[in-house]
Amino acid sequence: MRIELGPVTRIEGHLNVRTTVEDNVVVDAQCMGEMFRGFEKILEGRDPLDAQQITQRICGVCPYAHAIASSYAQEQAYGLTPPANGRILHNLVQGANHLYDYLLHFYQLSALDFVDVTAILQYQGKDAGLRHLKSWVQAELASGKPYPAAPFLPRLSGTYLTDAQFNIGALKHYLEAMEIQKKANRAAAIFGGKFPHSTGVFPGGCPQEARIDLITAYQSLIREVREFIHQKYLPDVAAVAAAFPEYWRIGVSQGGFLSYGLLPRGPKVDSERLLAPGVLLDGEVRPVDFEAITQDVGRARYASGSGLTVRDSELRPAPQKQGAYTWIKAPRYQGRMVEVGPAARIMIDYAQNHNPTVRTLVDRFTKQFDIKPAQLNSVLGRHLSRAICAAVIADFLLSETERLDPGAPTMADINIPATAEGFGATEASRGALLHYLRIENHKIAKYECVVPTTWNCSPRDDKGTPGALESALIGTKVADPAEQIESVRIVHSFDPCIACSIH
Amino acid sequence: MLDRRAFLKLAATMTAAFGVGNLPDPVAAALNKLDPAQVPKLIYLQGMSCTGCSISLLQAESPSAATMITDYAQLVFHADLSAISGRGALEVIEQYLAGQAGEYFLAVEGAIPADMPEACVIGDKPFADYLLQAAATMTAAVAVGACACDGGVPAAEGNPTGAIGLQEFYNRHNVTKPVIQLRGCSVHPDWLWHTIVHLVKVGMPELEDGSPTLFYGRKVHELCPRYHDFQQEIFARKLGDKGCLFKLGCLGPDTYADCPTRWWNGGQTWCINANAPCIGCASPTFARRKDFPFYRIGEKNRRTTS
Repeated sequence: MRIELGPVTRIEGHLNVRTTVEDNVVVDAQCMGEMFRGFEKILEGRDPLDAQQITQRICGVCPYAHAIASSYAQEQAYGLTPPANGRILHNLVQGANHLYDYLLHFYQLSALDFVDVTAILQYQGKDAGLRHLKSWVQAELASGKPYPAAPFLPRLSGTYLTDAQFNIGALKHYLEAMEIQKKANRAAAIFGGKFPHSTGVFPGGCPQEARIDLITAYQSLIREVREFIHQKYLPDVAAVAAAFPEYWRIGVSQGGFLSYGLLPRGPKVDSERLLAPGVLLDGEVRPVDFEAITQDVGRARYASGSGLTVRDSELRPAPQKQGAYTWIKAPRYQGRMVEVGPAARIMIDYAQNHNPTVRTLVDRFTKQFDIKPAQLNSVLGRHLSRAICAAVIADFLLSETERLDPGAPTMADINIPATAEGFGATEASRGALLHYLRIENHKIAKYECVVPTTWNCSPRDDKGTPGALESALIGTKVADPAEQIESVRIVHSFDPCIACSIH
Repeated sequence: MLDRRAFLKLAATMTAAFGVGNLPDPVAAALNKLDPAQVPKLIYLQGMSCTGCSISLLQAESPSAATMITDYAQLVFHADLSAISGRGALEVIEQYLAGQAGEYFLAVEGAIPADMPEACVIGDKPFADYLLQAAATMTAAVAVGACACDGGVPAAEGNPTGAIGLQEFYNRHNVTKPVIQLRGCSVHPDWLWHTIVHLVKVGMPELEDGSPTLFYGRKVHELCPRYHDFQQEIFARKLGDKGCLFKLGCLGPDTYADCPTRWWNGGQTWCINANAPCIGCASPTFARRKDFPFYRIGEKNRRTTS
């Protein structure tokens, strides 16, 4: 039986998933990315600094990640190193963006997969926000509207949490997270100018000053976010894990893992990073080589060559190509399928015994849930890895603010050469993000982005190997093949961003 | 003779007085008292978008996004927030678009690929089909952000899809329903939410070329706190300098938006306050031409080598 899960909601963008179900088991899955804009064509021939702004419009959920990746690529091309303050401001902007994104993902995008929103009707307490929500839901249900209490109802059929107290607590945190994510973004905007789509991040630093009043405002906001992460986010993830332990074994991708590492601890892009880069294949972590990345388009809607390296990439759309089922290309590392994202980040750092806080948190939670670190490759593992990333990043951001030198320069002078090239690699919240830029005659001759969801939601490559999400879906047992809440939970655990993946 | 301020005030009063009669019943009924059963329903669809406008809408402070979608509007469908997914989601959309679930406003984020329908698909239909279906049943449409208004970055020179904005799309299909244009990349949350509050409490806001003058009536440059620097010719020469950012390429003089007085992210900051030049993201020609860069920073290098 063939069932399409799209349009998948509570993700970014236009994703459909075509599944084949036999005897209540998903035996095949195809990820279909359904929105194409052609960013690389739009970038060709433009002023190189335009990339700083244009590439952010690839994604309004994680624009800062694109701003940072583009900055790194341009810095390499321009031979530019920011002053110490400049790199710290980059980190403060990008790190705060990660925090908002994790909270948004767990509460707004994922929680309704597990939490029973109707539990609010049993609320008897005095919290103003919850009383308001209760009376609103009551009024909606009594209104006779065709779709009352939208967008929270209707929902997929399935088993939701049954503990009324936990459901109500989670709904309270859903509302609180909507407030807290704003604080993370306000912090980012202090140095980034605004959010979404920062105007204040450049190759070579940020033009905003490192002024003590700004630094203090940033610290104050991030402390509030950090408090929420420890008091609510981590415990809520743990509570969902306790109620749905089978999801440590559901949604397991069948390839390797890739992370470019996150947040350099020094002005140079190749300084040691807060989370270490690496590619994890066959249980072994190796250094990342950008030349090992190729992109297949056999099943994607392009007439371009297949298996091309990043430097030689092409973009020739073929919207009606026979045998193609998506706009997403299939990137591969040494020809191998890999998963990127929070679980890859944490597993690769942990395997290298690199960040002591990562080690402590992974050890604590694997013991608490009686799982192995390799089980971070699962629905719950991805949720937990995000929360661990959040805790580690929040602490780092506060320590970075102490390293700022108030009044010292924050921005290097930019000179754009006639001919140059550069790679810029960082971790977006959704995973490994690579920008490549080649400049000829002072203009962009080539720009290529290989984006996290391009990896995770990739179609079959030319050898027929499924992408990470496809492989994680195949084999899943589903109670209701028509709705497949189990599959939707797997999709959500990857936090797909389709605008990013195709761009 | 009326000066501009008096004219705008008069126009707003007249709109308030006379706009009400043209409103759909639910909106008119909600004028004095917010009854959850009567607030306007919003179907929010995303075309060729980056979701940045939706994320921006979540940054609203007063009222917050949660209050907006419970008290001032009913968000019947939004791809980022709706619990329902797949066929069930399509059913909600189809019921409204078929005119079988009552009156509604259509909010659109993102551009429409006029030359390549396959470049934006929801379920098993091109995005454009939904817009044409809605044209027959919606009360009015709101184009949210640069892409929905004018095509935005997807419509920039060299794009392969023929991306256009909603008004242009409806013009090409002889649809005459009103489209409120809320430019910005991204839109400022207040620009949409306060337009809705205006619709609910007062009626249609005063529009100029489809955009509420409340937000888009003056140029960034006119309202800029660094206008004095401009007059005194105190110019930033490189990024990180203070002073007027005009010589770095600031597009405030070409851009109608109230960023300098409204500020962003809860009033914490805005671009020029962070010493970042305005890139004209609320301008209809935002990002359009390859030979019109955002910044003038590279000019010195091109001069020395060519």
